[in-house]
Amino acid sequence: MPILRLLSAPLCIVAFAAALSSAGWAKDTGLVFVSNEKTNNLIVIDPKTNKVVKDLRTSRRPRDMHFNKDHTKLYVACGDDDVIDIIDVAKLEVVGKLSTGSSPETFGIDESRRRIYVSNEEGSSLSVIDMDQNIIVQEVPTGAEPEGVFVSEDGHFVYVTSEVGDLIHLIDADSGNVVQDVVVGTRPRRFAATPDHKELWVSAELSGEVYIIDREKFTVEGKIEFLPPGMRKTDVTPVDLRITRDGKTAYVTLGHAAHVAVVDVPTRKIQGYILVGKRSWGLGMSRDEKTLYVANGFGDDVTVIDLKTRKATVSIPVGRIPWGVVIDD
Amino acid sequence: MIRFFMHGRVGKGASLPWQRHWCRLLCDATLPTLSRLASLIAWAKARRRALAHPALIALLGLAAPAFGQTAPPSAAPPRQHISIGYVEIEGDPRYEPIRAYERLVLKTRDHPFPGAQIGIDEAAVLVRVLNTEFALERITVKSPAEVAPAVTAALERRGIHFFLIDAPAEAFKPLAAAAKGRDALLFNVSAADDGLRRDLCAREVVHVIPSLAMRMDALTQYLASRKWRDILVFEGPLPGDAETVRAFTRSAQKFGAKIVADQRFKTGTDPREREQNNPALLSAIRGNYDVVFVADEAFDFVRQVPYHTVLPRPVVGGIDLEPVAWHWTWEHNGAPQVNSRFDKKSGGRRMESADWAAWVAVKMVVQATLRTRSADFPKQRDFILGDAGFDGDKGLPVSVRPWDHQVRQAVLLAAPYMVVGSAPMEGFLHRTNELDTLGDDEPETSCRLNR
Repeated sequence: MPILRLLSAPLCIVAFAAALSSAGWAKDTGLVFVSNEKTNNLIVIDPKTNKVVKDLRTSRRPRDMHFNKDHTKLYVACGDDDVIDIIDVAKLEVVGKLSTGSSPETFGIDESRRRIYVSNEEGSSLSVIDMDQNIIVQEVPTGAEPEGVFVSEDGHFVYVTSEVGDLIHLIDADSGNVVQDVVVGTRPRRFAATPDHKELWVSAELSGEVYIIDREKFTVEGKIEFLPPGMRKTDVTPVDLRITRDGKTAYVTLGHAAHVAVVDVPTRKIQGYILVGKRSWGLGMSRDEKTLYVANGFGDDVTVIDLKTRKATVSIPVGRIPWGVVIDD
Repeated sequence: MIRFFMHGRVGKGASLPWQRHWCRLLCDATLPTLSRLASLIAWAKARRRALAHPALIALLGLAAPAFGQTAPPSAAPPRQHISIGYVEIEGDPRYEPIRAYERLVLKTRDHPFPGAQIGIDEAAVLVRVLNTEFALERITVKSPAEVAPAVTAALERRGIHFFLIDAPAEAFKPLAAAAKGRDALLFNVSAADDGLRRDLCAREVVHVIPSLAMRMDALTQYLASRKWRDILVFEGPLPGDAETVRAFTRSAQKFGAKIVADQRFKTGTDPREREQNNPALLSAIRGNYDVVFVADEAFDFVRQVPYHTVLPRPVVGGIDLEPVAWHWTWEHNGAPQVNSRFDKKSGGRRMESADWAAWVAVKMVVQATLRTRSADFPKQRDFILGDAGFDGDKGLPVSVRPWDHQVRQAVLLAAPYMVVGSAPMEGFLHRTNELDTLGDDEPETSCRLNR
């Protein structure tokens, strides 16, 4: 299609220029953003000083956050106003909103298609949002209380957990159909993919496990159970998880057990536990993978972990019921 | 007279064999037939792409045949149906509104049927995975005595194995006798009587609603955790009030609280009986107390107790701080979403303890089907009665105690607008499961269904 190519070439240049101009002053601020469910704000922390530099008002009940590719915008799902707030990262203010279904919780962005996939906790559906037109182009029915959303690297598939259905739905991104379901443990919450794209790790909060899904077969391949010393099985409620870029190490928050588990990914063996705050849920990892930030939902603070020594170094008070952490680096 | 209603059937009715075949994989239960067709077309497109995608080929178990060469429709196993009976009594006095006067309704009460319905709704998505539909069959009888025959009839003639029993304690003795040794599991969703757990002790019954003993233990743990250990008791005239005080006394002994006086009250304004009907006089005892515990099933006298005691003391038990299985203000463990689904289903009612029990009972049946991948009753029953944990949205997983078939669970301490605590309270420890600090632990009861 030569005509299309001709048209798209100048468009690319415009886009590149735009990216450059904003990149000059917005990129890599290094700032840490914490969403707080009950105080309707993002607390912005300077990681060099561990001081709060901004209290950013959002729509009500901010939860999941994602940057766009060049980190000029931060998208924040706000559950009680049924919107995703768009934050200008350079100005640190809300500059726009996208409408979602009922009570958006987590989401994934596919920038190549200009789409956002957001789970609607109350609506039992996944909304597909056109980012440019600000309209919901499709509503995919899911099991009750959908939560974790993961968009495959090629954008063809979207994985969604249903907390009540104990299911992972595999959704065809084009048709919006659920093409397959897989049953996992009780109350599946969030995803992390291994960098080789082969495995998808899913936390199952109430059964206290992480399930490992073989993405090619879409079957459960294994699971990991956690038990920090001195804790009871019933305290272990894993929620968020991250896998390092080299695919070697995974970090899993254990909720009421107040620890982060460190897992050796290839062997799936637990290497240790790091003590954090009460009801640890959201995780954020710095790009250099040296620092981990843990949102403690019942401690109203964020624990900073030095990953070299695997020790918590400091806790920073934030808003009420901190939910998640993202870092602009 | 017995009435049968079909409720909440999940998925669609009859579908063509080819539709069924496809729908196993890709139709959502809520899609109408037309959109199924649309999704078939979309599916065909997706599948063409899938043919070049090893992941999808593998997951569909397709060795890349040309589109259209599907297996013969007869290869699709028939969809299974699991009906859950819901037995209730018309005019059950437990659901009469509580009034101050004819036109002043203090509490509206209703059968927990919508609780069961949200459980069925949540299972809708599993039609796709399990090829199984769940439905509720509402059976309304005229008296507690008719519960057992209605269950027997549904078991024998309609092949129903699971029943939610929304009936008072008196219905359970004949019911347990009728169900003894049969393929039936009866979920008690609204009778809290300890006698059903201790004395009746029936293998076919699962008590989902917490027992009175569990609720009193929860309240006492809370009081003890606040160090409010000296308790003044006001006891009403009804048999239920005496039962409550007995259970509370037992809990107080268990957790080191002390009943400093047990005052019998009498509702009224007769000045000759003021020593019994005036909360100020009743609470003017020699010595101090930390709280006033009121047992008043009629919910009449108890309303006058707060702010009318001689000493400024909180009132607990029948008002102000009540131990419950569920409360509409509980906001952890996914509770807001359940409350919201219930609110929609019930037309604006607030979810209460029996509603929670009905919801969890249905969840247990659904989970048993999901986890055993079977609609075979003995397998499902063994799963439910085994050591499986279920998500009751109250933190610690709920499960069935093997010795008396009581569902172990957290008990919420509810103030009118806030759940102030969730028992077991921190510090009340148990050698295996802290939930067993509430109610009859294995050594504390004569019921031994596991022996």
